[in-house]
Amino acid sequence: MMIPGIFLALQMSADHDQSLAIRLQRRDPEAMGDLYDRFGRMAYSVILAIVRDAAIAEDLLQETFLRVWNRVHAFEAGRGAIGPWLLAIARNRAIDHLRSIGARMDRNSYELDVREHPSLFVDMEREVLNTDHARLIGKAISKLSADQRKVIEMAYYEGLSQTEMAERMGEPLGTVKTWVRAALKNLREALGQAVAA
Amino acid sequence: MTCDQLRQDYTSYALGIAEDPERSEIAGHLARNCPECISGMASAMATVTAISGAVPIKDPPKDLRKRIMATVRKAPRRSRAAVFLPWAITAAMSIALVAIGVSGRRQIGDTARLQRALSILNDPATRDVSFGETEKPSKGRVFVSPKGVVLIAAGLPRIDTNRTFELWLIPAKGNPVPSGLFQSLPDATAVFVRLGPIDPGLTGKGAAVAVTVEPEGGSKQPTTTPFIVTKL
Repeated sequence: MMIPGIFLALQMSADHDQSLAIRLQRRDPEAMGDLYDRFGRMAYSVILAIVRDAAIAEDLLQETFLRVWNRVHAFEAGRGAIGPWLLAIARNRAIDHLRSIGARMDRNSYELDVREHPSLFVDMEREVLNTDHARLIGKAISKLSADQRKVIEMAYYEGLSQTEMAERMGEPLGTVKTWVRAALKNLREALGQAVAA
Repeated sequence: MTCDQLRQDYTSYALGIAEDPERSEIAGHLARNCPECISGMASAMATVTAISGAVPIKDPPKDLRKRIMATVRKAPRRSRAAVFLPWAITAAMSIALVAIGVSGRRQIGDTARLQRALSILNDPATRDVSFGETEKPSKGRVFVSPKGVVLIAAGLPRIDTNRTFELWLIPAKGNPVPSGLFQSLPDATAVFVRLGPIDPGLTGKGAAVAVTVEPEGGSKQPTTTPFIVTKL
């Protein structure tokens, strides 16, 4: 049976990511170079979009890779999705930076640890980062109502709590919660996720 | 709250924007290793990852790769123990911080204190041990370093209001050393942090940790049988 090219490519990239994780766990510095080549631009873009300062983004990207290097032993190389894990760490570093400069102490490092815990990236769909998904999400965001899009942008790029969003927008917290839930439901549906997460 | 009630907020939690009571409820379910919430959170993380994947791509400076490689080559090798806290403990610590998340000066003081606690957990010199992994109702983990002690416990016994839990560090030879008093939360959990130098004899080979129930104000030596006792 012929294997369609795209599936073959996905399988190859999954195998590549798995061997990358194993090499990182064996403390192969060249594996870090390969990880950078594969996900560095994406992680940099995520951080830059949040902090909007190239010098800070460079520092935070270094911090991100160092964190991966120091924590990769806990990663389940055979089943974990290393790209999504790295992007979660990158976003957390950027949001943590924003919170620290804004003296917003209402979140904590443990909660960041929860959100980047390797167990959350086990068996994650490999194609979650492919261009089709990016297009689907982009399209779904563009279809959100103006208020829903605003709260998603404030959530993703600024890490504002829903209370902070409500204060900034001058709207009741309940209204903001409704917009957030509806927006995220639309995004999940666009991704075709069966689980109402 | 039930998993069903929390489901619609998993992605908010994954984004870091969930509000109480949902935030602490989800953290609580995660700390109890709730399979439905862990699975839901993993799915929510996939949504957040997909949003990250849709961020417009920008090129980093060309020399950044070289700098990152240099940073990694210089990085000291860390012990496995310092790498990642077990899932449930991380979530439990998150709840502990949420629980003290009050406004004003106290929050800053408590946050600083717990940040110091985190430094104990991440200290390569820290020794840690789990307890109650078999049939005992009280389960948890103790971290002991020259900088202090962190104890995280669940399933603690109910005690009268005029009683207290007391932590003991026990050297290989010698009497137990009283190392702090604590109370449990209504859900029978506790996170106890004692900051300050610890005598090396209390963390060395053959040392042990114990917890007893004592009269309010604590005791100089244990007056009841320890319900937690574990060797370091």
